[in-house]
This record gives sequence, C-alpha cells and structure tokens, in this order.
Amino acid sequence: MKISRRRKRVADIPNASTSDIAFLLIIFFMSTTKFDVKEGISLVLPPAAQEGSQVVKLSDKDMTRILITNTGEIMWNDANLGVFNSSVIESKVKQALAANPKMIFSLKTDREAKYNDMISVLDRLKSAGAEKISLSTN
Amino acid sequence: MAKIQIKRRPKVIPQASQSDIAFLLLLFFMVTTVFVQEKVFWVDRSRWPYAESIQKIPRNHTTTIYIKADETVLIDDIPYYVEDIENMRIAGTVQRKFNEDPNLIVCFRTDRETKYGVLSDVMRQLQDIGALKVTFETQRKTD
Repeated sequence: MKISRRRKRVADIPNASTSDIAFLLIIFFMSTTKFDVKEGISLVLPPAAQEGSQVVKLSDKDMTRILITNTGEIMWNDANLGVFNSSVIESKVKQALAANPKMIFSLKTDREAKYNDMISVLDRLKSAGAEKISLSTN
Repeated sequence: MAKIQIKRRPKVIPQASQSDIAFLLLLFFMVTTVFVQEKVFWVDRSRWPYAESIQKIPRNHTTTIYIKADETVLIDDIPYYVEDIENMRIAGTVQRKFNEDPNLIVCFRTDRETKYGVLSDVMRQLQDIGALKVTFETQRKTD
C-alpha cells in the first residue's frame, strides 16, 4: 500500500489586512490633524532709539496723525471721525496717499484702547496701500 | 471549420499596491502633523480680531506670544504677568530665541479685548533686543 506523503505547509504571514490597518491609521491622522496656518498683518518695527541717533522732523504735509482714544473714537489730524468706520478710514487713507504717495501714517493708540480698534485701523491702512506706518502709544 | 475559442481573462483590478498608497498617505500625515504643546491656556482663534489685508506667515522662524484680555502673557506655555514685563523677563525669554534664530518673527495672538498698553510694552521690549519682525495674527474677514 502506498502511503501518501503529507504536504508540507508553507509558513505564511497573512498580509491581507495590512491595508485595512494602514487606512485605519490614516483616518486617525486625518481626523486629528489640524493645519495651523499662521496668517496676519506683518510689520517691521523701527529699531530702538539710541543715544546720538538722528532726529528727523517731519512736516504736516508728510505725516498724517491718527489717534485712537480709550473710548474707541478715531481722531484724524485732530478731526474727530467717531467710532471706527471701515469705508471712511479707507477713503481718507486713499485721499492722503493720492495727495502724497510718500505719506507717513502715525497711528497712536491710547494705552486703554482695545487692541481690536488698533488692528481695524491698521488693516484699513494696509489695504489702502499705506506702506509707511508708525505705531505709538501715550 | 472549427470555431476558435478565445480565452477570456477575468477582469481584476490589481490591489497589490493599495497598502503602499495607504502607507504613503499615512507617512504624509505623520510627517505634517504637529501636536500643539501649549496646555496652560491660549487665546482661542475666535477671540482674535478680524482683518482683510492679511498674509500667510511661514511657520519656521516664528515664535508665538499669547496675550489674554486679563493682561496675562504666555510664551512657551509659561505665563508672565505685568510685573514680568516691567522686569524685562519677557525680553529675556525672546532674547534667547532671537540669539538662536536672528530671522525670528514674533507672532502675537492677542485677544481683541486686550488693552493696547500691554502689547505696546511687549513690543517696546522687542525693539530693545532687536527682534523687529512682528505679526499680529488675525482671523480672515469674510463678508
């Protein structure tokens, strides 16, 4: 009688579920990933004044003074514009730049004024094309 | 005449590379994911002011300063208070970062209700140490 040989089993690691595991991990990373995009208004601050540094005096025609009071009112060269109005500020900036393209805007914000008011005015200055902006406080 | 039979192969979409694609995507997400480390408190995005003329800031070379409405300042998960601004402790912390990376951009994530005075004091200290590139992070205004 012929005894049939046992077939040798081939050692094999099943890898059919590899892609399932991978997709599971992808779903985890996709759901937990939050892209932290940094967006904002960029400025380069002037260097701190040092002893012996030159003081340049500017005439009124070269500089526009904007003051934000603690109540949120905006003074434009001593004229009160009331609370922030986007279109009023933007048209004023455009007018000033049309009269003098090298106009410097001095944005002075009261220490007690809200940061939001300063950013709103700064945003209008930037969007109207103002490039020379100085920030200060009292 | 004998009929020629053409063997039809069953249509199979090859799936061998499926796991390669999956692992490729997995690697992408693993590499790009950055887990935010600040845990004490932060200024939530919904508290930032709105603006239109905003630009994207490259992530490298940046450090973030959080300023809350109660005038607490947070850098690298360490809170600083008004007296720390006066004692130049904030300037010292930023100075260390600035020495490591001279192209440092300081990003302010400030609550819109914060008084401007605090921000102004911090900026003056940045001027003193020479870290002059700043960014005020805002939400994009959508009308």
